Amino acid sequence: MSGVDPDGSIRAEDVTALYEGAKFYSPAVGDASRTWLTSWVAELLDRNGPVALVRPEALPPSTTAISLCIIGSGFALADLPPAGDEFALAVERVARLQRTRFEAVYPLAAATVSSFAPVIAAAQLGVPLVDADGMGRTYALIHHTTMHLAGVAPTPLVAQGPTGESVLVDVLTAPRADRVLRANVDTLGGWAALAAYPTTVGTLRHAALTGTMSRLLEVGRVLLGGNDADLLEQRLGAVTGCRRIGRGRITGLEHLSRPTDVTIPTHPSSVVVDEVDGRRRQLRIELRSEVVAVLADGELVAAAPDVVNLVDVSRAELATLDSLEPGDLVDVLVSPAGDLWYSPEALAMVGPHSHGITLDHPGRR
Amino acid sequence: MDPRSPPGASAGVLLRPRGAAAALVVDGRAAPVALGPAGASGPRSVLAAAGAAARAQGVLLDVVTVDVSAVLLDAVLHGDAAAYPTAAVRIVPRPASDPALGRSPAAAVERLVAQRFTVSGGHDLLGHELCPLDRDQLARLCETLRRGEARHLAIVAAGSQAQPEHERAVADAVQAVLPGCDITAGSEFGGQGLAAREATAVLNSWLRPLARSVVDELEQAVADVLPGTALRVARGDGGHLLPARAAELPAAALGATDAMELRGAAHLAGRDDVRLVLRRRSGAVSGHVRRGLVVVRSAQLPDIGVELVVPTAALAHHPGAADRTEGELAPREDPDLTVCVGAATSRPTSWLDEVAVIGSAAELDRVRSEVERRATAIATANGARPGTAHVVDLSVVAVPYSPSGTVRIRVRVAGEPDTGARPEPARSTR
Repeated sequence: MSGVDPDGSIRAEDVTALYEGAKFYSPAVGDASRTWLTSWVAELLDRNGPVALVRPEALPPSTTAISLCIIGSGFALADLPPAGDEFALAVERVARLQRTRFEAVYPLAAATVSSFAPVIAAAQLGVPLVDADGMGRTYALIHHTTMHLAGVAPTPLVAQGPTGESVLVDVLTAPRADRVLRANVDTLGGWAALAAYPTTVGTLRHAALTGTMSRLLEVGRVLLGGNDADLLEQRLGAVTGCRRIGRGRITGLEHLSRPTDVTIPTHPSSVVVDEVDGRRRQLRIELRSEVVAVLADGELVAAAPDVVNLVDVSRAELATLDSLEPGDLVDVLVSPAGDLWYSPEALAMVGPHSHGITLDHPGRR
Repeated sequence: MDPRSPPGASAGVLLRPRGAAAALVVDGRAAPVALGPAGASGPRSVLAAAGAAARAQGVLLDVVTVDVSAVLLDAVLHGDAAAYPTAAVRIVPRPASDPALGRSPAAAVERLVAQRFTVSGGHDLLGHELCPLDRDQLARLCETLRRGEARHLAIVAAGSQAQPEHERAVADAVQAVLPGCDITAGSEFGGQGLAAREATAVLNSWLRPLARSVVDELEQAVADVLPGTALRVARGDGGHLLPARAAELPAAALGATDAMELRGAAHLAGRDDVRLVLRRRSGAVSGHVRRGLVVVRSAQLPDIGVELVVPTAALAHHPGAADRTEGELAPREDPDLTVCVGAATSRPTSWLDEVAVIGSAAELDRVRSEVERRATAIATANGARPGTAHVVDLSVVAVPYSPSGTVRIRVRVAGEPDTGARPEPARSTR
């Protein structure tokens, strides 16, 4: 199956698959925005034409590019949808500041509703979308990117809110950007269109993870075709390399289950799953905004940067983390993140220790 | 149990735009009600037939629960949209710059909207004001409405599930110039998502005149042919509510047929916890009954095309009966009979879906208790015998990418039917 249409574009009919695939790489955000978001973007692509999806190697290295994402809460986005101009405005404000014109856009995170942000901006601005991103999934903080690891600054950045207000952030060190931005995002309405990491496509060739947008389409098509959990996971495994850790019933949801801190949004919580077959282990799934670790009978079996999904067995679809309920039967899947995320430097930034779990990543033991 | 009648006698009725079905449940045993010749399918004749079936078995009907959702849905999809001119008011910081974002994503909902307005205002998810309500725009809105034809109004504000004051201010201002205007506010239903709250409010506002008419006819028919029997209306979550509340909150009845079929199938199978595979024209779907109640979520009704904030049965596409996995059950009974059995055995329910901020385990306990208390009050207002309403499902999950301590709380409460003295309709909702 090809992940990208032959002409290398994202069209209105791809939007549903894009949404599903984006959920696989970040199952945190539920479907409260699904209908209006997919409906709007499909109409936008019908009206303005398909968005060209281009690998970095296919564009001149001097092409200027800027990343986009939706920063903040998916719940807030659902309760206060965009007016429609936030994404293009965010790009234009950074361009005005830098006295340049961005000739391409790319996703900060090719996952969750954030993956729609650069599609919208590309359609509105009439520029190509680079098939590469900085996370290959989502992480909670905006400097948790491969661009940051490669020395690309996230600033100057602009967060354009649904209220019509915006915030320009320029900081001395990348980790300060999120701290400065986060409180402003709450004031802007709980979410904002973020334009950040202005750079060139030449830099993205080595500083970003390539092919991650087209991958969403491929994974999304698999997810849309599933009506049996076993078969679905088999097909997903072929595309993503995911494997099942266990199948079980949710028996508990706990909050404030680990010491919290103020640097990462969303307090720690846990989901307890009792396996219904096999070794009948108790799986403890540690959450922050995403799944950060899975312990089976106390042994760490998966941890960030691994991508961990829950599949609702009865519905043969992904279970989003904001919709879990005791009694649900779920499969716990783990997929590898991009290779770049398993270096010592990257693991120090996003691995289990960064979430207060004092165990080494299973891949390092 | 009411001592004047043998225990456990109840009836369920399914009303369709063309046709009806009924079932009698006595001591847990279900039987179809013979409706006689074709054409005898109006509410009065169906209820009379149910009464006759009860008398034939030597029992009196304590309660009859009617599923009207097919009638309501048919009107939404195929009725004359202009029959009840409805305006929609959105309260957000600024109007949509893209027209696609200024309307409902569902054509079935948008066709009911005769006029649309945006008034600047709104709150964030936690109830903090984002933008003061624009009083000049509100005055212009009132004047336009006064001159126009719309006398049904759906109002929805950003953040109104946490802070409804802007919705109330708009409702009060409109009511002052149009005292007869029938208003539904999104905050009456709560729930997550502006598009979902707006769609629910629009549907509710447009459906109210029809729902009142249907409920009036049912109440009159029950008074005439089933005196002493309590009337209830089926909810989309597999429970039921009082007729007066159904007339004001018809959106809560949408989707009841699916939920009642699941509940009825579980009852007929004698199972309190079972996954069921149901036949549909588009293929098989599966749903779940857990602890005797249908598993629900606030989701999309396939025919409507947008998420709603009222809970409905959680259905999933299913490979088909031939591929049933162990533990699943494919009911073989007539689906209409199954729906009626589900209605006859339904219980009064309520459901709340809210966002809160907690700072400690003690605060979580306090917030949880408060939500449980309100859900219990609503279930009692929906017809639960005082003291019987209890929490059957509770889930608290952290809201991703939100300030630490932000949680989503969903609670579901069910009680035993109160078929004695009928409670007064309450003002609380859901």
